[in-house]
Amino acid sequence: MGLVMGTFSLQSKQVSYHKDKADDDLEMTMVCHRPEGLDQLEAQTNFSKRELQVLYRGFKNECPSGVVNEDTFKQIYSQFFPHGDASTYAHYLFNAFDTGHTGSIKFEDFVTALSILLRGSVTEKLQWTFNLYDINRDGYINKEEMTDIVRAIYDMMGKYTYPALKNDAPKQHVDAFFQKMDKNRDGVVTLDEFILSCQEDENIMRSLQLFENVI
Amino acid sequence: MAAGVAAWLPFARAAAIGWMPVASTPMPLPPQEKRRTKDGLLVLNVSGTRFQTWRDTLERYPDTLLGSTERDFFFHEETNEFFFDRDPDIFRHILNFYRTGKLHYPRQECIAAYDEELAFFGIVPEIIGDCCYEDYKDRRRENQERIQDDEDIEQSNEPVPVDMSFRESMWRAFENPHTSTMALVFYYVTGFFIAVSVLANVVETVPCGTAPSRVKVMSCGERYELAFFCLDTACVMIFTVEYLLRLLVAPSRYKFVKSVMSIIDVVAIMPYYIGLVMTDNEDVSGAFVTLRVFRVFRIFKFSRHSAGLRILGYTLKSCASELGFLLFSLTMAIIIFATVMFYAEKGMSGSKFTSIPAAFWYTIVTMTTLGYGDMVPKTIMGKIFGSICSLSGVLVIALPVPVIVSNFSRIYHQSQRAEKRRAQKASKEAGQALVCKANPNFEVHHHHLLNCLEKTTNHEFVDEKTYEATCKDVTLLKQVSCSSSISSSSTHGLSSCCGRRKRKTFNVPNSNMSVGLQGSLQELSTIQIRERPLTNSRSSRSSLNAKFEETVPLNCDQPYITSAIISMPTPPGTTPEGDESTSSTDYSQANIVRVSAL
Repeated sequence: MGLVMGTFSLQSKQVSYHKDKADDDLEMTMVCHRPEGLDQLEAQTNFSKRELQVLYRGFKNECPSGVVNEDTFKQIYSQFFPHGDASTYAHYLFNAFDTGHTGSIKFEDFVTALSILLRGSVTEKLQWTFNLYDINRDGYINKEEMTDIVRAIYDMMGKYTYPALKNDAPKQHVDAFFQKMDKNRDGVVTLDEFILSCQEDENIMRSLQLFENVI
Repeated sequence: MAAGVAAWLPFARAAAIGWMPVASTPMPLPPQEKRRTKDGLLVLNVSGTRFQTWRDTLERYPDTLLGSTERDFFFHEETNEFFFDRDPDIFRHILNFYRTGKLHYPRQECIAAYDEELAFFGIVPEIIGDCCYEDYKDRRRENQERIQDDEDIEQSNEPVPVDMSFRESMWRAFENPHTSTMALVFYYVTGFFIAVSVLANVVETVPCGTAPSRVKVMSCGERYELAFFCLDTACVMIFTVEYLLRLLVAPSRYKFVKSVMSIIDVVAIMPYYIGLVMTDNEDVSGAFVTLRVFRVFRIFKFSRHSAGLRILGYTLKSCASELGFLLFSLTMAIIIFATVMFYAEKGMSGSKFTSIPAAFWYTIVTMTTLGYGDMVPKTIMGKIFGSICSLSGVLVIALPVPVIVSNFSRIYHQSQRAEKRRAQKASKEAGQALVCKANPNFEVHHHHLLNCLEKTTNHEFVDEKTYEATCKDVTLLKQVSCSSSISSSSTHGLSSCCGRRKRKTFNVPNSNMSVGLQGSLQELSTIQIRERPLTNSRSSRSSLNAKFEETVPLNCDQPYITSAIISMPTPPGTTPEGDESTSSTDYSQANIVRVSAL
């Protein structure tokens, strides 16, 4: 008897697992989104029609449903950084891209953000970056937010680095950052302080122009 | 997947702007963009069927015919299209591979034709997707077996090649008795003697009638002791000679000694020699008698003569866990019923159920429906439980038999499949490493991106071994931190980030650094540390030795000369063509060995 029960229980376990997976997949494919017309997007962003076409083809290939949810976003971003854990930084990125706070990124959001990052003016880029750092969207970057961001960036490096990552490396980095950016020493960085400090730093100015020819 | 991820590279690079204000050091320069060819539609005319695709799609796999300049040979000027005189049905799958990154194998196509097309278009079959891979391999194996059978028949009519050494020809004779007459004779002789020996063992114990001087009946072994002894000696002689001969001519003696057949041979002849050595002592004769039991193992020597026995042995071995489970549950049932019967029959006087272990015998006999009748319950409760026991015995014994049979067949196929998959896995990964070669453009930009990350955090990527080495040696850090500002730091970062690529299975198949390339990557990662003292000699090639890992304290003056073979994608700033030309010829070497300038 024990044998019979054992054998049957063994088999039934496997069946149920496969069933659940199929149901999940079915739900996912129901959501579908189509972007606005090509002309409108061209007017709204700084990309040409051709560039938009190339971008959309890549987007659609990876996300046939037309929207990216946070998990897919994290997955895609993590593929570029296989050594460390890119999910925290991807989470902040996702929130920065998802301006409407809908929980998913549509093609318009994607293209708008890319337009600012790749073709926008310096002020726009800095504004976008400020938005990225300001996790709770209150208009100020405080030390905790900055520490979170910097730690997320360090997480992407992974464990095996040279020199070996110390625990307070993010903290030191944040202190240096605040030293530079916080002009009135009130413990928070406002948008104006941020833009001003970045414009003073030549390295930052130069590096902002780095990715202009990406597409 | 490869195409998809490459398409998101602009996004990843744009997102890197988020690091810029945080970084305190300047960023490396971006790689020079090649003049981009216009992205246009290409028309591929395959025997009249027109296929169209983007140029970029084809160039995802530059190691294939369609992705490289080789397709120019098929360009038809008059119609402004590429013409291929091949099968359009199979071409459809090949083109889908470029589009989706997965190669599928259609069931209705002939395996030989499919293989031919793949070879023509320069696609390695190992990258067939998981969904179709098993089927492909099965069909291929069947085809190979068919070819092999044909060849074997041909070969058996061939004369033996003369240039084999005596040892090799002897071994061949032992393993394949049908190759020569002598081998066949030997085969039959040994078989005959095995049979004779086993028969003698059996007949020895048959009672043969009384001898004049004794009262009780003697066995034949005792009566004709000398005759049996001579027979036994002769058989053992033959077996010993055979074993020694096999040992002598075996290509790998160690492997031969370890093999099951040789162990059986040894066990079969050992008792005789031990018997010779031992004296006629009363104490040890008991043990000696036990040893004679091992003579029956000679019957296993027949497994060399019978393939069926070998298969049976193998299947029992592979079925062992299922059989074990069956035994375990049977034991549970036996214990339960024996306990119950014992306590049910306890009160009865003169009951045979003296203890629970004694009741085991009853339970086994009843459950297997043997019913000897030497132990029967006498109380009513005992009879009730006894009948439950025999009924459940029918179920317990009868039901698992088809389960075991189906389990057995499932396990047998599964183990075959698992072995196949294991064997295929290595070649599959190697194949994937080959074909999923980097779009060099993608690689260059990706490395630049990783380099920016390194600059932002002021740390560099290293691989695990180097990391541990640096952790241990503190003095190393002091020495190494000599030159931190290296002009072409981008190359440096490149070598460092390639170094640790081997640690994780990189999901982006565009990377040509995959799990199989550990050796060369190890060298690369250690180069990274040594390179730091080197400032401008980007054109010099460093020599790679295995000693790299040992020379931990760096000597900044050490010269780096001579050519070396290093595996890494093109460093930024140099055109990728140099690498591809060397790799396009030899697929097996393509991603593992390339000469590159540092």
